[in-house]
Amino acid sequence: MKILLAEDDFASRKFMDKQLSRYGECDVMVDGEEAVDAFMMALEDGEPYDLACLDVMMPVMDGYQVLKAIRDIEAQKGIPKSKRVKVIMTTALNDERNVKMAFELGCEAYAGKPIDVEKFEKVLTKLGLI
Amino acid sequence: MAEEFNTESMLDMFLYESGQLLEKLEGIILEKQDADCFDDADINEIFRVMHTIKGSSGVLMYENITKVTHKLEDVFYYLRESHPDDVPHMELVEKVLAVSDFVTGELDKLKNGDTPDGDEKQLVEDLDEFLGRLKGEITKQGIQMPQANKHVEPTQFYITPVAGDDSHFYRISIHYRSDTQMSNLRAYSATYALKEVAEDLLYTPDDILSNEASADVIVAEGFHMLLQTKSSKEDVIALIDSSEAEEINFDELSKEEYGRALGEFGREEVEPAAAAPVAAKDENNGNNKEAKKEGPKPGDYVVKTKEAGKGKTLAKNQPKQQSIISVNVEKMDALMDLIGELVIAEAVVLQNPDLKVPGLELSNFQKASGQLSKITTELQEVIMSMRMMPLTNTFQKMRRIVFDVSRKLGKDIELEVVGENTEVDKNIIEHITDPLMHLVRNSVDHGIEEDPADRTAVGKPSKGKITLEAKNEGGKVYISVKDDGKGLNKEKLYQKALDKGLIENKPINEFTDKEIFRFITLPGFSTKEEVTEYSGRGVGMDVVVKNIQSISGRLDISSVEFEGSEMTLVIPLTLAIINGIVVQVGNSPFVIETASIKEFVRVGEDSLISEPSGEEYIVLRGECYPFIRLNERYDLPDSNDKIEEGIIVVLEHEGSQVCVLIDKLLQEQEIVVKPIPSYVRKVKGLSGCTQLGDGSIALILDIAGLLMHDGERR
Repeated sequence: MKILLAEDDFASRKFMDKQLSRYGECDVMVDGEEAVDAFMMALEDGEPYDLACLDVMMPVMDGYQVLKAIRDIEAQKGIPKSKRVKVIMTTALNDERNVKMAFELGCEAYAGKPIDVEKFEKVLTKLGLI
Repeated sequence: MAEEFNTESMLDMFLYESGQLLEKLEGIILEKQDADCFDDADINEIFRVMHTIKGSSGVLMYENITKVTHKLEDVFYYLRESHPDDVPHMELVEKVLAVSDFVTGELDKLKNGDTPDGDEKQLVEDLDEFLGRLKGEITKQGIQMPQANKHVEPTQFYITPVAGDDSHFYRISIHYRSDTQMSNLRAYSATYALKEVAEDLLYTPDDILSNEASADVIVAEGFHMLLQTKSSKEDVIALIDSSEAEEINFDELSKEEYGRALGEFGREEVEPAAAAPVAAKDENNGNNKEAKKEGPKPGDYVVKTKEAGKGKTLAKNQPKQQSIISVNVEKMDALMDLIGELVIAEAVVLQNPDLKVPGLELSNFQKASGQLSKITTELQEVIMSMRMMPLTNTFQKMRRIVFDVSRKLGKDIELEVVGENTEVDKNIIEHITDPLMHLVRNSVDHGIEEDPADRTAVGKPSKGKITLEAKNEGGKVYISVKDDGKGLNKEKLYQKALDKGLIENKPINEFTDKEIFRFITLPGFSTKEEVTEYSGRGVGMDVVVKNIQSISGRLDISSVEFEGSEMTLVIPLTLAIINGIVVQVGNSPFVIETASIKEFVRVGEDSLISEPSGEEYIVLRGECYPFIRLNERYDLPDSNDKIEEGIIVVLEHEGSQVCVLIDKLLQEQEIVVKPIPSYVRKVKGLSGCTQLGDGSIALILDIAGLLMHDGERR
């Protein structure tokens, strides 16, 4: 599967890259804008991502903005709900408000940092990715 | 309610909401336990509660909770859709309570940071079996079977972060010597060393590498770090290079404090604009509500492009507006202590010996000090009111206890609750829950008759009744547990106490009713021959009394045989600050709580009766009171022995009086009670100490202790 990872913190990035690489090919972005660009590019090449893991606190665009942009692009292109990229937010911002907002924006899962790898894997299964 | 707590983390929110829902659920169940069936509104409500918990536990992936609530939701789904008759109501009540207990247990595990690993299989099987019977009943009654309850699997998940108990949170502040060169590099090497073990590390100033000027800031204000790590304190300290460091402060924080501290660190760079909305708030109070509800938006968390070596900062720092915040109790306690200190400091200033110089013109000072006293008093009132909580939750627990115990014992008991909205200090709530639980159990177990025939024989309804009442009166809280059971039998109590050798051998008519009732609070006393699961181990009542005394409360017992008993907890509203009178004996000041003083009198030598055994009594208006000379008891030199020259203070506690001889009255003052330090041997008759205006220490007299001491001596 194709994975998009957006994470600006080096240590987290390395950790996530290692984790995710077990499941598929992982493209690593360091800010929000890059993430949207990468998503767009993949879509245009006809090889869209299956999973996007987005950090929230990032330069240029934050994770929520990226999520919204992704969902907007998908809606505009008329991509059916079942074909949408699965999005998992990865952040230490665990306020209920933030989580609810992310759910409303349309992410599939919200993983609090430090990430519980076991549960993370379980969610991937539930989402039908692995 | 959700709004008020919405800065809580997702998990806290889940725990809080589910807890609330379960409490509500128990409320409904216990209210309707005696009815024949639940009405539509209840069924809907229970269905909704289960549905909500199922949903949120699904999102958080606590599968056992999801399964159990799912099953119970099914049960109530069929009840709601088909309205079958003849539902075994009691069984249903038990099932709901079982589920509620299971979920509560799992929530508790989560609260303690454990994994909710309870085994739900048995419960689910039971519910399945019950559901099967229910469906059978529905078919039998010819009601159309509703379509199966459609379950939507959650499509969104929340992965709770791992933060096991083994993660520690520290706040580390390093202050370097003022002549330290390149303190920023030292600070960097500290952060670098800590990165090895850190799960999370934040520091300020955060531009230590790129900005050489930060060295001056570090020297001036210190270098502060927040660290989350699995390493122990010792290991972390070992990592930090302490040469050149003048002082390293090392605080371990709780997870919540850490979260808040993170906020403080992140908000270091808030621009002054933060103040503007506050001013604006006054202008458009009407729109305030909307502003308050405003949550985070996408784009709030954009991080400024990092400058080399600089930590993360949010580009947009919007101040949060909120009308209610939740505060850590520890902070409240700290504030309370500080206010206590303030009251002492105030006394030190206002009664400063320097002011006693004759001929000082003090009228302006007096005016200002009046103002100060007013403000400190208000401050105390405000902090007290902040700590007030209604007793509702505590009483709710009692409902459950009455329900459980009465069912187990097969007694038919109704519980009436009066004044559950009475507000008391949070501290007090913590201290009274257990004693109250004990009293309620006792009432159900020992109070109400086992055989309803015993009740009808004396003209009482066959259903027992327990009344739980709380009220606020004259600075005290009264919480009473009243039953209309068999009451206490004085002869039995007396005989039992005598048999067990708990009292001295004297005829029953020499004891007052109150004294006899109080036998049940003696250690090792239990009137019940058989010990039941709920009460009767005889360790109960004395523990109750001890707990209550620890918050300077008391237990009043009154009872009429065959009509019932009443146990009343009387607890002062405030614990830490009392109104007291400062008196002097010899050279030592003592404090007596104003509320326990009945009167001050001067009497002549002729009022004194001395027994050959050395006991002394004072006769006042024909009444005889035990007399204690404080100077003798505490070996105080230089005090007067003649009672005409001193002042007699009549003190009262729980209906008993005692007279105390003092030398002179000093003043009335608000007293901040401090415990006597543990290195001082516990002295009977003294409950604490306080600092007076001139800086000297005064001991606080404990009337109960004085009386007890006096009784023992006799």
